[in-house]
Amino acid sequence: MSARLRSLALHAVLVVVGVIAVGPLYWLFTSSLKTNSDIYTFPLVWWPSTLHWENFAEAWHAAPFGRFYVNSIVVTVVGTVLKVANAVLTAYAFVFLRFPFKRVLFMVVLGAMMVPGHVTLLPNYLTVSQLGWINTYQGIIIPGAASAFGTFLLRQHMLTLPGEVFDAARMDGAGHLRVLRSVVLPLSRPMLVTVTIVTLVAEWNDYIWPRIVTNTDTMRTLPVGLLMLKAQEGYVNWGAVMAATTFVVLPVLVVFFLAQRYVVAGLTQGAVKG
Amino acid sequence: MSASLSRRRFLGLAGGAALALTPLGCGGGGAGGGGSFGQPPGNVPEQYRKRQRVVIWYTYGGANGEAFTRLVDKFNQSQTDIYLEAQFQGSYDETAQKLAAAIQARQVPELCIFSEVTWHKFHLNQALEPLNDYFGDGLQPSDYVDSLINEGTIKGQVWWVPFGRSTPLFYYNRDMFAQAGLPDRGPETWDELRSWAPALAKVKVNGQTPKLHVYPQTDGDWMFQGAVWQWGGNYSKGLDVTIDTGGAVEAGEWQRRLIHVDQQAYMAKSPRVDFSTGLVATVQESTGILRGLMKDAKFEVGAAFVPKQVAFGCPTGGGGISILAGAAPERKKAAFEFLKFAAKPENAAQWSIDTGYMPSTKAAQETPEMQKLFAENPNFKLAVEQLPKTQAQDQVRLLVPNANRAIYGGLQEIYADNKPAGEVFKRVADELRKGVEGVRELVEKHM
Repeated sequence: MSARLRSLALHAVLVVVGVIAVGPLYWLFTSSLKTNSDIYTFPLVWWPSTLHWENFAEAWHAAPFGRFYVNSIVVTVVGTVLKVANAVLTAYAFVFLRFPFKRVLFMVVLGAMMVPGHVTLLPNYLTVSQLGWINTYQGIIIPGAASAFGTFLLRQHMLTLPGEVFDAARMDGAGHLRVLRSVVLPLSRPMLVTVTIVTLVAEWNDYIWPRIVTNTDTMRTLPVGLLMLKAQEGYVNWGAVMAATTFVVLPVLVVFFLAQRYVVAGLTQGAVKG
Repeated sequence: MSASLSRRRFLGLAGGAALALTPLGCGGGGAGGGGSFGQPPGNVPEQYRKRQRVVIWYTYGGANGEAFTRLVDKFNQSQTDIYLEAQFQGSYDETAQKLAAAIQARQVPELCIFSEVTWHKFHLNQALEPLNDYFGDGLQPSDYVDSLINEGTIKGQVWWVPFGRSTPLFYYNRDMFAQAGLPDRGPETWDELRSWAPALAKVKVNGQTPKLHVYPQTDGDWMFQGAVWQWGGNYSKGLDVTIDTGGAVEAGEWQRRLIHVDQQAYMAKSPRVDFSTGLVATVQESTGILRGLMKDAKFEVGAAFVPKQVAFGCPTGGGGISILAGAAPERKKAAFEFLKFAAKPENAAQWSIDTGYMPSTKAAQETPEMQKLFAENPNFKLAVEQLPKTQAQDQVRLLVPNANRAIYGGLQEIYADNKPAGEVFKRVADELRKGVEGVRELVEKHM
């Protein structure tokens, strides 16, 4: 009895969590096909009365979304590569190299994680401005290229790796980069996948910094572009805004669906020991 | 060590390079010599490369944004010396924040759109250019509507010209009023509106009876500025905070009673949406939404002056343009050409027609296009007729940073939590008084 009941309870919980997770996405997609009158009514309209595909056309033409896509992709790909590479190298150094003040420096890195983003906004803006990087790709990407979060996670993971494998490789004459590439990274795959995915999504959705550092549409990214659809005073065409939000959300969803095999495999690889 | 660049040597070199670069990060040495700031980077199309580049930061998105870029394009095509680059930067507050950062980075646009609240902060900190010397044959302060230009004038000097100004207007659902047997007009006083509530019980929309009125969740302090005057009070007299006494408290109590005792009003996230979907019979909203409202509502929209109580009181709102003092002199002169262009009757009229903002110059009101609009749409004319009766807002709301947040935070407690107005406003007043002390010195120096 208890096994079946437990299974039932588990399924019930999963259904509830599933609805909570998928609900907003469902609302987003159906709203993007609704006319304003469907959106602005109560009780809620769960399925659009007519499929108003014009919202997508209207959203696409309201702002240069093609350009926003290009910028978002460049910023996300380059930014993620830089962040993860930095995190990997830094974590490796903290775990496998010996140098003075290692513990203190690691505390400093941890401290960086606790500084609220808004504190560094103005100093970063002034620095980027003096470098002449306002409204450029490097201005958006470089200030955030070091990730304390990624470094921390990867370091914690690398600490759990068995020392014998490392020693064996060193005894075979491998230099640090070789060890990193052939021994440490393959063994760190779960954590690497996690850090990459989290970084990718964060870079894609990054709003505040790109908004401050860019001035023109040619350099703005998708989240910033969404802003342009909302009027200061006056009506907002929510259907078009939802359609535009779909533009922003869809690529990440597609990437997830394509990569989910690797994500799940990577995350569960270290789950069962021995 | 097999590598030629040993780890120690590499660390040493890297450390030296880092030290050498720190002067770059340490504030101080700004870009550009003399006193002039640089411009924010952007894009200049090929055909305009030879012109003087001038930048404006604007706050209009959606349909208003399109109307603005049309105006800027028209300006660029109308002459051959200046290229005006328009850069959208978000809401009034967001643009003000970015401008504050830009001033510190010494890269400012020549022109910027400010709301009636945000421009004061920059004026007090001497970031704005005094405009009296720029006026001349093409444009005079008296060309603008008097009450609007006066709000941008301090001690006889003009700092901020009107552009995209609005006032609150009282909107009502004409179909519902007809169904309820109510007269086809706005109420004379708020007490009269309250007396109309029982008649509304006859009306049903989707099976529900609509409520009489609705109050905004955010930025309620703008509408409430009118309310405190209508009850004979003030937010402040000069810098003397008076929100915790007299008319302000009475207005707050009256509204609280309408919501919690009569159950005829409530606080909504988006009052205009509730009104246009038939949840409430009346709403007080900006003139700026009139166009969208009439397009989207499925009923006849009626408009009227804001109701009185013991007196008439109506604030202005919206935005205007100022020139930044830090920009180079020749660019400031070029920037003023845009102000002249925007104030031309046909341009000011077109801007007003496209957006629903008030026409900011006297001549714009007289143009054939505006007259045609007034004839087709008496509601638009109403806003213009109400304009002479408006007054400048109480100083504490304009000059104290975050005063608006403090006030509408208090209003939220009255509308939603049913707290007595006297108690809430006492706390708000304390907060405002602290804020006043922070700006008193600057204010007395410059105003």
